[in-house]
Amino acid sequence: MDFSQPFKRGLLNGLSITYTMVKVIVPCYVAMEVIKSLGLIEAISRICRPAMGIFGLPGEAALGLIAGYTINLYAAIAVLTPLHLSGKDITILALMLGICHSLTVETPVTRKTGVNAWSLLAVRILLSLFSGVVLNLLWKLF
Amino acid sequence: MEIILNALKGSFSLTIKLLIIILPLTISYEFLKDRTFFSGTKPFRFMGITRPGLVPLVTGVIIGLTYGAGVIIHSIRAYNIGQREAFLILLFLSVCHAIFEDTLIFVVIGADGLVLVIARLILAFALTYLAYRARLFDK
Repeated sequence: MDFSQPFKRGLLNGLSITYTMVKVIVPCYVAMEVIKSLGLIEAISRICRPAMGIFGLPGEAALGLIAGYTINLYAAIAVLTPLHLSGKDITILALMLGICHSLTVETPVTRKTGVNAWSLLAVRILLSLFSGVVLNLLWKLF
Repeated sequence: MEIILNALKGSFSLTIKLLIIILPLTISYEFLKDRTFFSGTKPFRFMGITRPGLVPLVTGVIIGLTYGAGVIIHSIRAYNIGQREAFLILLFLSVCHAIFEDTLIFVVIGADGLVLVIARLILAFALTYLAYRARLFDK
């Protein structure tokens, strides 16, 4: 069997994914550093604290959640990295975002398979919020 | 100016870390793709997913919806997978897809990977099974 063909295809796919990723990461990262230097994080954190408290997360985590839901996971990571959250916070966010992300891209994909994309969308959002609440509670228990 | 420079440095090192994770995944996927590694697995009958349904299911779980879209859409049409089963597959995949990539990229910034994988698998199986038993979305 010829190993170079699949290797080359995989390498090219990986690089093209990375290219798409860089286009998202760099602007998000820069935007976050600018927001941070302007001192806006405290204000955002204060506004979002009541809502994020349900998941046991600090207020500024809302930025990562919004970036992940609407854009994609790479955007969420670029936003979260400069915030330096704890391992627990990142794990809760990762579970919530893993279940529900890139809604603007993935909803059209599920629609093409012919299933009811809107009920799936609702399930994903609800389950994402639900899993965040539950994981936070479980984390406190153990 | 310094802020921008710092951000560029930070995003560069983040990109390199993610690249180290993504390349092995995309390369190993190309090697696995054409194998019949689905044939050994027992059908997930208990939650209404048949053997042909495993092709889109496994593809989605491993490589995700965005990059697996082609295979998922094609195989659902090619194997004549019914509306109901297609919904169950997509329901499972909504909760649990791109399991290696999604998990690892968060591990890079400090998440607990084992918790993530277990939680997503449990949620996906439970939800799909319930939807199947309850005939929740039947026409």
